[in-house]
Amino acid sequence: MLMNMTSSDIILLAHAGFGVTGCLAALWVFVETLNAGAENAARIRIAAMVAAVAMAAAWLCGGYWYIHFYPVEKALILKGPWPFAHNVFMETKEHLFFVTAVLAFLLPIGTRENLYANSAARRLVLAASALVAITGLAVEGAGALIDHGAKVALLRGH
Amino acid sequence: METRINRTTAGFALAAAVTAVFNTVLACVKDAYKPLNDFMTSLSGHQWKTHGLADLVVFVGLGFLFANMKAVGRIDSNRLINVLIGCVVAAALGLGIWYLVY
Repeated sequence: MLMNMTSSDIILLAHAGFGVTGCLAALWVFVETLNAGAENAARIRIAAMVAAVAMAAAWLCGGYWYIHFYPVEKALILKGPWPFAHNVFMETKEHLFFVTAVLAFLLPIGTRENLYANSAARRLVLAASALVAITGLAVEGAGALIDHGAKVALLRGH
Repeated sequence: METRINRTTAGFALAAAVTAVFNTVLACVKDAYKPLNDFMTSLSGHQWKTHGLADLVVFVGLGFLFANMKAVGRIDSNRLINVLIGCVVAAALGLGIWYLVY
């Protein structure tokens, strides 16, 4: 069954999978930070590192796929009934993702502080992790819409 | 209870805010000014790759720079958090609006 999957499919799914993992890890950081204490300090740092590593992996997989495989899909979308799937959503997604990734890289730095003893650092980590989760989910949603842009182009014979 | 963010964290948070705005400005300028797009393509083989690397350089470079500035350690933490949120929201809306109208 899996033999039918190409490297393009695997890389694209890995990109989305790492992105979701990064969003979930950021949400994990947010929830743990709301209840920050000495007992979960190590767990917060682990979650922050998972978010950063997952976003870096999503960047590498997505970047490779975007450069090597997306041009064919882009041409298809632009000829189809949903050209805005590329012109608006892909263009926004491919640039907004950089912000999500940079914010995810900020998390391991911010969580080095003792969040249970520093209310200012705690608020910063809450803000940064919430922004990672929100912008990350927006990017994921845009990815689904871009995929649908290609699908409607194929279904309508473009 | 400590109420100040240490200089390294504050420096990188400020760098993240600047990077978010830089990222949107670069996206708009490279689209509007083709020679810049071509130049970015010539640097790495793809303008998007160069764009991402530029963002990383700005984030890491400014992060270390700000982390070594005493003034950054004196920034009010609430103001810093508001700046970070404001810059990210403005950068995200800026990208969306730009690609909607461009």
